[in-house]
Order: sequence, then structure tokens, then C-alpha cells
Amino acid sequence: MIPRRRIAITGIGMVTPVGHDAPTTWANLRAGRGGFGHIQQFDARTFPVRIGAEVKSFKPEAVICDRNLLKFASRSHAFALAAAEEALTDAGIRPDPSTGHRWGFSAGAGMMGVAFSELESVHAFCGQNGDFEPDGLLNSGFPADPVAFCRSQTNAGLGLLTRHFGIRGYATAVHTACASGGQALGTALKVMRRGLTDFMLAGGYDSMLNPMGLSGFCLLGALSVDNDTPERASRPFDKTRNGFVLGEGAGFLVLEEWEAARARGARIYAELAGDGNSLSSYRITDSHPSGDGPIQAMQQALSDAAMEPENVDYVNAHGTSTPMNDRSECAALRAVFGPQIECLAVSSTKSCMGHLIAAAGAVEAGVCALAIRDGIAPVNANLLQTDPECDVNIVLGQSRPLRIRAAISNSLGFGGSNSCLVFRHPDEVAAPRRCDRGQPATP
Amino acid sequence: MNSAPRIMITGLGAMCGAGRSIDAIWDAIRAGRSAVAPIGQWDASRWPIRHAAEVTGVDDQAIVEDRRLHKFISRTDLFGLYAAQGAIQQAGLLAQRDKLDTQAAARFNDRSGIFVGCGGGAYRSNYDFFPVLSAARGDLQIFGRELESSVNPMWLLTCLPNNVLCYIGIRHGFKGTNACIANQCVGGAMAVAEAAAALRCGEADRAVAVGHDAPIEPETVLHYHQFGLLTNDALRPFDRERSGTIFGEGAAAVVLETAPEAQVRGAPILGEFLGSGCVTEATGILDVRPDGDGLSRAIELALEDAGVRPGELGLIVAHGNGARASDASEAVAIRRVFGEVPPPVTAFKWALGHTIAASGVLDLVLALTALRHRVVPGIATLNTLDPSLAPFPVSSTPQKPRSDVAMILCRGFGGMNVALVVRAVPAA
Repeated sequence: MIPRRRIAITGIGMVTPVGHDAPTTWANLRAGRGGFGHIQQFDARTFPVRIGAEVKSFKPEAVICDRNLLKFASRSHAFALAAAEEALTDAGIRPDPSTGHRWGFSAGAGMMGVAFSELESVHAFCGQNGDFEPDGLLNSGFPADPVAFCRSQTNAGLGLLTRHFGIRGYATAVHTACASGGQALGTALKVMRRGLTDFMLAGGYDSMLNPMGLSGFCLLGALSVDNDTPERASRPFDKTRNGFVLGEGAGFLVLEEWEAARARGARIYAELAGDGNSLSSYRITDSHPSGDGPIQAMQQALSDAAMEPENVDYVNAHGTSTPMNDRSECAALRAVFGPQIECLAVSSTKSCMGHLIAAAGAVEAGVCALAIRDGIAPVNANLLQTDPECDVNIVLGQSRPLRIRAAISNSLGFGGSNSCLVFRHPDEVAAPRRCDRGQPATP
Repeated sequence: MNSAPRIMITGLGAMCGAGRSIDAIWDAIRAGRSAVAPIGQWDASRWPIRHAAEVTGVDDQAIVEDRRLHKFISRTDLFGLYAAQGAIQQAGLLAQRDKLDTQAAARFNDRSGIFVGCGGGAYRSNYDFFPVLSAARGDLQIFGRELESSVNPMWLLTCLPNNVLCYIGIRHGFKGTNACIANQCVGGAMAVAEAAAALRCGEADRAVAVGHDAPIEPETVLHYHQFGLLTNDALRPFDRERSGTIFGEGAAAVVLETAPEAQVRGAPILGEFLGSGCVTEATGILDVRPDGDGLSRAIELALEDAGVRPGELGLIVAHGNGARASDASEAVAIRRVFGEVPPPVTAFKWALGHTIAASGVLDLVLALTALRHRVVPGIATLNTLDPSLAPFPVSSTPQKPRSDVAMILCRGFGGMNVALVVRAVPAA
């Protein structure tokens, strides 16, 4: 059998509530600085939830010069363009006319295509009495906007990014709610292993911080209602946690075949070593309290990476700060790692960034790669009182220096899709080492 | 990858404006009957575009019997769940699982994947906010206060793009590897390709792949019309007088199994998945390249993946959406790969309408049906082949397939091009 291709992460780009690029985001996550506050983009003062993790004063034209392109870009597409540009620059390689067909694209795309202002104009012409009257659209005054319609297509982001960067190979956009970003990277890994591409631009982008998106989550009761203390509202694994904080942003990685990346002298952050992917098939918003579903995703991911639980040093948890998610995820971690769980640093960086929905898994994959490079497990901020049901080895107080041989990142979505990605330290690819904290690996 | 298992097709399901079963859809096509009719979902008599191929005359409960579910899903989800159920039933997957002990059944579920190409749009679901928008009169403070008393608390869940994936899992218990592909027209075709890839790589033993969509909405019709993509005439692929496409709606599904799994349990083998190719031509959201670059590359990749030479194809189901630029570049791409004598070409959108994310899977299901009946159905709306595309082997009358292998072509926004290759096992 032909040996499986090994995949290297050589570029990282991010636009997040704690930074407009990856270095700023990472510095803030390491310092445990949050990006929360009262929502500024629209007047949310009377909404049941008035807080969020916004990307603040973002100017896409500072990164992307093509004005016409930006006209077709929604807020989340602009995040995506900027994060992708950063990732390609960081990798020091990008598609050109001779290589474009060997580049692929895989992204977790947000579900909200229609901007609130566009819905308002449809309402003004078609919905004054509460019901939808289609003929209002035919009114000569209706500001039918073909550009807005383009933006609203499910694969509009794919269209814009592949065109802008000249990617002409395999391309996909996926959406499994909060698991989207993780599953997009998993797809990218598999596509490269299948030999369909030599390079991938892979990640996710989302912005639901608008009246519709905020309403949707408010109505479900999924958000923290700590309107007076936004900085502490997202506290994954805390006994008093009461919901997630809605964030927005984008994350992209550049993936390359390992030997080719080495041959060109690329800086390799980590190996994208494994992917696990399962469906909880329990309830639309929750996994089973036993962790069934996420358990299979983690087990598959480790097995896909040919790795044992004791090879993992850090978990970037999904850790949304909802009562159900954190409990179920910890049950799953205990089931997968057994006694080894004590030796495993766990944190949720949503404690600083909030929940980036379809972008979450992609940004958090970048966080794992940076954690491996710098030997630092980022802090789980805001945790004062650990929930006894979440008694895993959480990174408390401040970020922890830690040589990370391998990290995993969980993304668990509404609809029951679960994604787990495994990242391996570049040195471990050459010469695997045992746990270096005096904890012997089980024979 | 010599060790990869062969991928068998053991179940098919479909519904669209032309019928609620594959047999009914096939009969309509063979009889030259198009499902295109005046739009009935709203009064479109004053609209510039007045026709579509709608699913009519069925109540929701006949499609999905679980009444509670109807409150949590949208029209397109109903179609997807119905098609998936048909394919799962035909494959006999649940009966197979029932024979297993608890542990083996749990493993069966963990090794059963679900891949969905989801519908887009969802403009309709946003209108649930109209009452609160009317009350607010542009004042978000009123909007925020009235929200909870006006909008269904489950609103967000009703418009999740991955609802079909979720509810196939909950209803049938499958828990394996999965994807929900939100790639507009090619979503369904890619769901089949990704399901097959997962089986080849050993990530699952079986998978159901679904494409579903319900694009017939006032906003989509208005905007597609503004782009000049729709016609009030018939949908006439490759015709000199072709003037645009017509929306349809529906869903189709296939069950794929690795050959060893299918053989061991004595599953009904309907066909075999042979290969796929998928590329973008990087033309942005709407444009297609006139030279057919992306499509010809997708075709070549699919042939290579399938290990099939161009001359071995029995028939091609073209995308054939009736739009001038898309059909022209499609003919160019097919001629570039297959030369002056391509295998017989047909298309089905003239009868079913363009079902967007469902179209690739509907075409796949119908390609297998055509091969099993050993006939390439004619395109009933084709009057005169566009001379600028000649020679091109499309016909208004039936043709004979050259072999038991078919290629299905699917194209979409984002410059997307997908080709699938399947072999049919002839009906006994």
C-alpha cells in the first residue's frame, strides 16, 4: 500500500474578536484577554442578550485592495478574505496560473446570507401587515440588489475567495453549524490524502452578530444573559456558566504536502495528523450527557493519526460555556482518555473569543498550531469555580508553558455533527518522544 | 490505492415535480411530459416568470409522517428526508440492523455515514420576523422587546442548513462520518462523491448521500430573472432557441456500501460508483468560462478516478440547464474530451426543472435508471440543435447507450464543476 501523504500546516491567518490577525489574537489568548462587550454594531439595548464578542473597527480594505471584490463581500466574507490573505502571506506561497489547479479550497461557511438591512427592505415592500406579499417585490420602487443576492448564495464566499486567489482545484463549502470549521479542515486533510490537491486554503468564516442571528440564539436560550458583566459571561467549565457569548470572525490555514513543504524550506507549525467525524443523533442542540458522539469523533481522530491517548498533551475544547455542552464534552474526554486525563491540559479559548460558530473550529485549529509552536497551553479564562462535572485538568489562572507533542481540537455542532482534529509537533514527526513531565506512558 | 474497496449502490430514492417515486419520474420523462406548470406557491400571474416544476398535491404528512417534526424543519428538509427514507428502505439497511445484537447494531450505526448537499435560500424563513418588524417600525428597541412574544423560539433550528443530516441521524440512528455540503448546485453531487471517498478510505462501511432543495421562492425567482437566467418558454437544453432555465424542487438519495459489506449481507446491487472529479474555474459567483475549462478538467479527473476510458462511456447526463452560456461551454467541454463522437448525451432538467442542490443526485438516480432500461431518453423540448454546438449527440428521441457506464455532469455558482461516473447492474 502506498504510504499515506503527511500534511503540514505552513500558514495561519485569523480575524477574531481579540485581534485582526493571528499574532495579535494569539498574544491576547495567551494573556487571557477577552474581546467581550456590549454590542456596538446595532442597537441591542432591549434584546434579551446585549453582549457579544465583536470584531472591532475592522477595515478589510487595509488588507484587500480589490474594491470591486469587497462590494460583493458580506461582513463574514471580508473576514475570510483578510484571514486567507494573512495565511497565504504567512506560508510564503500562493496559487499562480501554473499551480492554481493543484490548490484546493475548503471552508465552513456561515448560515446567514441575508443582511438585516436587506430583510428590512423586503419587509418595507412586502410585509407591512405582517404577512409576506410577494407582489411587493415587483413594485418599481423596490431596491432589488443583484449584488446582495449574490452575497446571499450559500457558496458566495467560495466563489469570491477562489477567484481572488486563483484557486482552480477541488473546492467545497460545508455547514454543520458549530462543527463547520473543524469539518472543513477534516475535509481538506482527506482531499489532500486522496491526492486531489497539493495545497489547500482551508478554514471558516461567520458573522451572526446582527439582529437576526442574535435573535435566533436568544430565542433558543443558548446565550449567556450576563448583560452587566460581559467580560465574565463566557466561562467554560465554571459551575455558574449559563450560556455562550456570540462571536464572529474567520480563520484560515495553508496546508501542504509535508515533504514538499520541507523541500521549499517552509516553516512548519505542525502536522494536521488526524480527523474524526461523527454524528450524535441524539437531540438537535445537545449531545448525550454520556458524551456519546463526541467520544467516537475523538477516538476516530486519534486512530486516524495513529496516536494513543497518552501522546496528547493539550485539548482545545469546544467548551462553549453552555451547561449541557461542557458537561457532555468532559464526560467524553474522560471516556476517551481514561486515567490519562490528569496528564492532559484542557482549555476553551472561547473564554476569550466567544463562539465564532462556523469559524470556531478553524480559528481554534490555528490556536492549536500556535500552542504547539510556542509550547504554551492557553489559559481557560474566567474560571473561578470548576464544575465538579467538569473535573478535567483545566488550564487555570494563566497560560501554562508546556511542550505539546500533540494537541486535539473539538468542534461540536447544533444538528449533532462532531469534529475532532489532531495536530502533531513537527519534531514528533521525525522522532516521537514520550510524555516529558514524569508521567510515564502506559506500556 | 489498490486496496480501496469497490463502492456499490444499493438504494435509490427521489421525489420532484415529476413524481414521488423514481418510477413515476421515469415514466414522465419517457412520455415526454414536463412537470413545468404555472407557479402555485403564490399568485405569480403578474410576475415576469410564471412557471416552475413544483411538487404539488401532497400534504407534508404524506412525505414525512412524524407530525412533530414539521414544526422544526422547512420545505426542502421534508423532501430530503423523504428521498433518504426511500433509499434506506430500498437498501434494506434497517432490516439488516434489526438482525444484529446490541453491540453489533451500535457498531453498524457508528459505521453508517450521512452526506448531504443542502438547499440554499431560506429567504422564506426570514419572513417569520415580519410581524415584529411591523411592530418595530424601524426601531430596534421595540424589536428587541417584542422579539420573544412574536417569533417561534425554535426559529433558528427551522432554518439550519444541516437539518436533513441531523434528522436522518435521529430518525434512523446512524452516527458515522458525515458532511453537509453548502455548495449551491453541486452540493448533492459532491455529497455522493464524498460519501464514496469516505467508504473507499475505510471511514465507514455504508453511507446515505442526499441532495435536496426548494428554490422556488419569490426572491430567488426575481433575482435569477434579473440576471437573465430564467425563461417563460420551455427549458430547451442545447437548442438554438434556448432562453434560460426553470426552477424545480425536490430531492434524491443513494445508499452506497463497500462491496464486501454489500456482498456479505446479500444486498440488492443496483449499480457501482466508479469515480468523481470536482474543480472550480475560479470565475467568482456567477460567471462560467466560455471554453469549458473547469468542466473538461472535472470530466478528465472523474474518468481517471474511475479507471474508465472516454470511449467506454455509455451515456452522458449533461447539466443542460438551458442557459445560453452554460450549455454552450458544456458542449465545448464535452467535445474537447470526447472528440467528434461523444457517447449519447441527454439531460433531465427540461422535465424536472433545475432543482439546484438536488439536481446532481436526481440526475444520477435517473442515469442509473436509464442504463438499467438500456435507453437514453430523448429531450422532448429540443427542437433544433444550436448549430454553433454541432455536432453534438443530443436528440429529442431515445438513443441507445453504448455501455453500462454513465457520466453525470453538474455545474453551479462559484465556478463549480463536478463529474460522476457510475455503472449500472442491469435489472433482472
